[in-house]
Amino acid sequence: MSAQIRKVCTIVEDLHSELGSPVATPVRRAAVAAVIANPWAGRGVVATLDDEVVEVAPSVAHQLTSRLVDALGGVDRVQAFGKAAIVGTGGEIEHAGALIHTPYFGNLLRELTEGESIIVFSDDRADAGASLTVPMWHKLHAATRSHYQTIAVRVPDAPRADEIVVVAAGSTGGRPNARIGDRSSDPDVRLADLPLDRHINNSLERVR
Amino acid sequence: MNIRKISTYVDEVLTEGGRPVDPPARTAVVVAVIENPWAGQGFVEDLAPGIDATASDLGKLLAARVVEALGGPVEAFGKAAIVGLDGEVEHGSALIHTLKFGDHFRKAAEASTLLPAVEKRAGAGSVFDIPLKHVTDATIRSHHQSIEVRVADAPHPNEIVVGLAAAEQGRPQARLAPLSTER
Repeated sequence: MSAQIRKVCTIVEDLHSELGSPVATPVRRAAVAAVIANPWAGRGVVATLDDEVVEVAPSVAHQLTSRLVDALGGVDRVQAFGKAAIVGTGGEIEHAGALIHTPYFGNLLRELTEGESIIVFSDDRADAGASLTVPMWHKLHAATRSHYQTIAVRVPDAPRADEIVVVAAGSTGGRPNARIGDRSSDPDVRLADLPLDRHINNSLERVR
Repeated sequence: MNIRKISTYVDEVLTEGGRPVDPPARTAVVVAVIENPWAGQGFVEDLAPGIDATASDLGKLLAARVVEALGGPVEAFGKAAIVGLDGEVEHGSALIHTLKFGDHFRKAAEASTLLPAVEKRAGAGSVFDIPLKHVTDATIRSHHQSIEVRVADAPHPNEIVVGLAAAEQGRPQARLAPLSTER
């Protein structure tokens, strides 16, 4: 049994301007979503998910990632990546996790994008037409702040209750007007050093 | 014309009604999120100068992009204009209901019919459906279809989302009798 794919949706966004001004770095973001049959649908709580993961996840990873790389203009253009899954209401979040959180998906996505980072993700259980915000970060250096970004993914007629929407996402750069520094340039911020007014200090004391 | 972003959506349907669709049914949509040419000007009586400044360039850009995104012959097509909350629906209609806009797509798609359209005023992230019909005969029933689109952060109140849709085929499992059989 390989993945039973009902449809594949590709989303590409080219960002040109913000608040009326051209962006510093035009960026292309893309996401590819496959709508697949939930391999555990109708079987109750299946104790071991491994067999289906091995059979389904690699082909989904390969098809999604090859389309993603193509949409972004080649592997050299891919700077950031992310992944996601939305499981239909007849499934468990664990089913979504099974398909994206194992090496059978993640390692292939990483290898095909020539990445090294752990891959950031989002997941959800929802009705068809739910919008999911898919996070992305740098494929080599996950802590690169300029590359923290997201893309919204929505398939109008999926997932059905017995389906899973699996998503691979990527970007050719960081945020188009990134300008909030990075870990290397951050000051060492500590609560005690901050000039907070009394009200906020009092609130924090209560929280403690 | 100030373009904030261009978004492309490609749908490939591999199964429908539980049966394979071979080759997969492909539909592409390209939208440009642009600043409303009449934003902040109050009621503009004569829209022609804004149309002349925008519609042809926009139609040309979108036509090339949607044909490229589809990657094959265009059998069905449609268009859309979603106006942000501070504009008039008339502003969106102005940009898409002119031959200056649509002729680029008709030429690229070797089409001869009018483009079916959706126009509405909506907030950012609203869902809209673009109707598509056959490119040379709008009565061909197998090609009556629509595709649902949503741009998460558009249109802003002073923006217009303008889009084109193209399909390589009719509905994935079309099996209705043609119009001619009911005449």
